[in-house]
Amino acid sequence: MKKSKLNNILSAISLVILVVLIVGIQQFGLFGINTYVIGVIKLCCIYAICALSMNIVNGLTGMFSLGQPGFMALGAYTTGLLTVSAQDKIEIYKIKPIVGWLANLNAPFFIALIAGGIVAAFAAFLIGFPVLRLKGDYLAIASLGFSEIIRIFIQNGQSVTNGTTGLIRIPGHVNLYVAFGALALVVIFMVLLINSTYGRAFKAIREDEIAAEAMGINLFKHKMFSFIISGFIAGIGGGLLASHLGAISPDVFKFTLAYEILLMVVLGGQGSISGSIVGAFIVRAALEWLRIVDNPIKLGPINYPGISGMRMVVFSVVLMFIILFWSRGIFGSEEFSFDRIFRFFKSKKSAREGKVNG
Amino acid sequence: MADANILKTENLTIRFGGLTAVENLNVDVNKGEIVAIIGPNGAGKTTAFNMITGVYRPTEGDVLFEGNKINGKRPDQIAHLGIARTFQNIRLFKELTVLENVLIANHLRVKSNIISSVIRMPGARREEKQMLENSLELLKEVGLAELKDEKAQNLPYGLQRRLEIARALATKPTLLLLDEPAAGMNPKETEELSEFITEIREKFDISILLIEHHMQLVMDISDRIYVLEYGKTIAKGIPEDVQSDPKVIKAYLGEEDEG
Repeated sequence: MKKSKLNNILSAISLVILVVLIVGIQQFGLFGINTYVIGVIKLCCIYAICALSMNIVNGLTGMFSLGQPGFMALGAYTTGLLTVSAQDKIEIYKIKPIVGWLANLNAPFFIALIAGGIVAAFAAFLIGFPVLRLKGDYLAIASLGFSEIIRIFIQNGQSVTNGTTGLIRIPGHVNLYVAFGALALVVIFMVLLINSTYGRAFKAIREDEIAAEAMGINLFKHKMFSFIISGFIAGIGGGLLASHLGAISPDVFKFTLAYEILLMVVLGGQGSISGSIVGAFIVRAALEWLRIVDNPIKLGPINYPGISGMRMVVFSVVLMFIILFWSRGIFGSEEFSFDRIFRFFKSKKSAREGKVNG
Repeated sequence: MADANILKTENLTIRFGGLTAVENLNVDVNKGEIVAIIGPNGAGKTTAFNMITGVYRPTEGDVLFEGNKINGKRPDQIAHLGIARTFQNIRLFKELTVLENVLIANHLRVKSNIISSVIRMPGARREEKQMLENSLELLKEVGLAELKDEKAQNLPYGLQRRLEIARALATKPTLLLLDEPAAGMNPKETEELSEFITEIREKFDISILLIEHHMQLVMDISDRIYVLEYGKTIAKGIPEDVQSDPKVIKAYLGEEDEG
């Protein structure tokens, strides 16, 4: 459907407002937003990137992969190892000293980030050979397994990764510009990909593998492309996460992370870019905001003692309802546009008028 | 090869466990011919198609396409060689538009790699433009141009069949396999389909091998017919001969003295 002129104008205005807000908050501390909230926003952006990376495989190509934590871990550790200073590395590695060639290996943040993406993409390429021959649930199990294998390797590679202690003193290079900038680049890349002939081939595989193959699409090759791109972006996401947190350990990349990201993708709508972003922001922000139910609350005579972990209970219930009523996610496989919002209200209005007249 | 034998199967046989689904099938299609394979349900017609297009690997025998052995190749490789097909129960990319469905079938000729395609290098852009022109042209020829932005699943049944054929044609095949193209069609749609099939043979200069239950359609358009029953070929020849063959009548209508 052609987008209306009004839609384009409104989109442009919103984009300008967003940029102004980002600059305002980052530069002048607009609205007195504290660093905690800024931190949450940055985390939302990073998770949105990871959700988008999963969406390439799960939403666009129609496979079911849960390998994201492994790729993120590889990206995070690569970026971490390349940015922690040589002096810090010697101090951090207490149980076993760091291997010689790594100790002095350093790179600027952006190069380290790209290197993280490349390492993750290469891992995706290697893992792809066995797992991409599988379909559906089997692929999910195998990719989750490989993700765990990567984590276990990291956990035991004492002289390279510092084992369970993990890396600390990773320089924080992620401000709002970097977070939103990276997200914007990933979104632009995905839009270009989806509207290219390869993106259409991915969609064809999602719609009907047998027909896609009969139309001359090499299934393995295209699934591999999709898997590698997804790995690369997840690696970048992991690198940003490492720099944002300042400290990483193998525990950060447990398999529960895969479910969390899957949740963002499904909640937003599989195959939708704006869906993944909105999903990531909702899930991350809700998890932070729901911390209030973990703490004691006094409501007049009622004294709620506060149960730690309660937020997960509330969160899960809310999610169940959302998935029950919006099983295709907030956006389905469509993208956000103002036209859609207008249509939504129009249909509501006409439904109401229809009722009155009828 | 002087004699334009596009497709030839030699003693094509496939067994699933103890069941022989197709036995010693010898079908040949000459250039520009419309050949039909008919037979009762379960006769092994679609299985034969699946062997020709690489979905199944034959247990014995060979498939020769333009003189070269193609059994053992993957379906996408066979599509590259110039065999396109449709499916018994329509397999369109339902959520995608009519135009996208046809564009996807152009993908097999794409030369630019994924990176230059994503960053829109001049070469990739030219290819994309060419693909779009080809697709729009094709949609115009098959009469679906006005519906190009409609989702495939929203088309009426007859047009979905037509789109599936158009999609197959977009791969620029030399041989088109149609698996029960008239299934579920009303008489008017079937008649249009007959015309459409003979029309595309001329226009696109292709040979057609089809499976069909609809006798009228088969007798109208086929140059030659093969009749299968329980995996075996029980008759073959021009429509008039097959029609009056006692074995065929028996297979379709049962023994004469039973009635």
